[in-house]
Amino acid sequence: MKHEPIQIDIQNLQKSFGKKEILHDITTTFKKGEFVAVIGKSGSGKSTLLRLVASLEEITQGDLLFDGVPAKNSDANVKMMYQDSRLLPWKKVIDNVGLGLTGNWSALAEEALDKVGLLHLKDEWPSTLSGGQKQRVALARALIHEPSLLMLDEPLSALDALTRIEMQNLIELIWQKNNFTALLVTHDVSEAVRLADRIILIEDGSIAFDEPIAVPRPRKLTNPLLIELEEKILNRLMNGREIATLNEKQLAVSPLNLVVNP
Amino acid sequence: MKKMTFDFRPWAIPFILIIVWEVVVQMEIVSPALFPSPITIITTGWNLTINGDLTTHIGVSLGRALTGMLIGGAIGFALGVLNGLSKNCYHYLDTTIQMIRNIPHLALIPLVIVWMGIGEDAKIFLVVLGVLFPIYVNTFHGIRNVDPNLVEMGRMYNLKGWQLFRHVLLPGALPSIFVGLRYALGVMWLTLIIAETIPTQAGLGYLATNAREFMQTDIIILSIVIYALLGKLADVIAQFGENRALKWNASYNK
Repeated sequence: MKHEPIQIDIQNLQKSFGKKEILHDITTTFKKGEFVAVIGKSGSGKSTLLRLVASLEEITQGDLLFDGVPAKNSDANVKMMYQDSRLLPWKKVIDNVGLGLTGNWSALAEEALDKVGLLHLKDEWPSTLSGGQKQRVALARALIHEPSLLMLDEPLSALDALTRIEMQNLIELIWQKNNFTALLVTHDVSEAVRLADRIILIEDGSIAFDEPIAVPRPRKLTNPLLIELEEKILNRLMNGREIATLNEKQLAVSPLNLVVNP
Repeated sequence: MKKMTFDFRPWAIPFILIIVWEVVVQMEIVSPALFPSPITIITTGWNLTINGDLTTHIGVSLGRALTGMLIGGAIGFALGVLNGLSKNCYHYLDTTIQMIRNIPHLALIPLVIVWMGIGEDAKIFLVVLGVLFPIYVNTFHGIRNVDPNLVEMGRMYNLKGWQLFRHVLLPGALPSIFVGLRYALGVMWLTLIIAETIPTQAGLGYLATNAREFMQTDIIILSIVIYALLGKLADVIAQFGENRALKWNASYNK
């Protein structure tokens, strides 16, 4: 299995559950190694898009290509990090990290845990960890497989603000060091702006807005360009209401508090 | 670390009851022939242990109980796993299993005697029938109730077939399976007591039935006490296994 980032092409994708159409006319390309954030309100279809790319749901119509090959026939290594870490409670931390590996993986697992700074907790039960630690273990579990595509399904939305900043830095660092395409679904606009090369806004089942972020890394949330972008997206999300009354200064003081429809 | 100190509380009531019983018999409020004193029973127990009778009978009864438990447990577990994993198997098998489950298995004794005679087969068969269903029901529900999110995660992390079962489904079902096991242990003793009243040459039931013929109330009560102790012992062993296997679960981490 190759451990290089993949390119994802989505063409005229449509998804319905029964008669209810969730997504329609989705056409876009995620470049190799790109960090894409998908944002949208609850129920906009953003998580469905992620699950379709992960082949966890059947596509109703349209094509999904990994490096030009239909996703079904592709041997691309796709891994997902969930909002609710989904660690197996009956396995110690290290065994959770080594899940699904064969052969002698304990050194690899220790290395992966070390990358997320939790080597000292390797023999603990998951139930004794904090939310942030659980997500670190989940990240290590994904990394050990050297994915070509790492999907992050609102991985930080259950964490407190400080832990979230810490985890954002860690995810960025790991994405920079390891070669993979990253697809982050979030409803936290400042998180998307902070991490992504490109932001896609899903509204009523289609792409409403697709914007690259050309701000160099490491990024600071106080960067005026980011603040401007964040405000623009929030405005778009709120149809220009509510947020328009906030001035830039307020946004600059507490950009983290602006979570759309949590 | 937990210190291994003896907790007297669970044994306080049995101990007081025995003292009261001894006193009542000593004061001759009840007839010692019908209601032998604890000391008489202990003496009888000692004598029967010395001449080897008691160990033989306990051995025979334990053999029947464990054979029945193993066979019935294996069948119940296998059916539970099968129906828990496969919707198709469930649709074909579950109704039949539920119908058989609802027949009180002890009501089958006359039929079992006619079919199998009064030998070991009949007794073991009854135990098998008794323990099969608690294990089946709890294994089935355990497997069905494993968090589907964890199963999805397991698949995403390359677990398939046996690996998925071993790492995700079985450990997830284990708490429920242990509930079934402990319940089945109770049914196992109950069934055995009744089954051993079917004429036989050995076993605790034989000891009691035989003693009845000669009005040896001390032996009858002794057999009952031994049943109680064996039942408790089985439960303690099951609980020990449960605590070992479910260490990860916060509610077992006392």
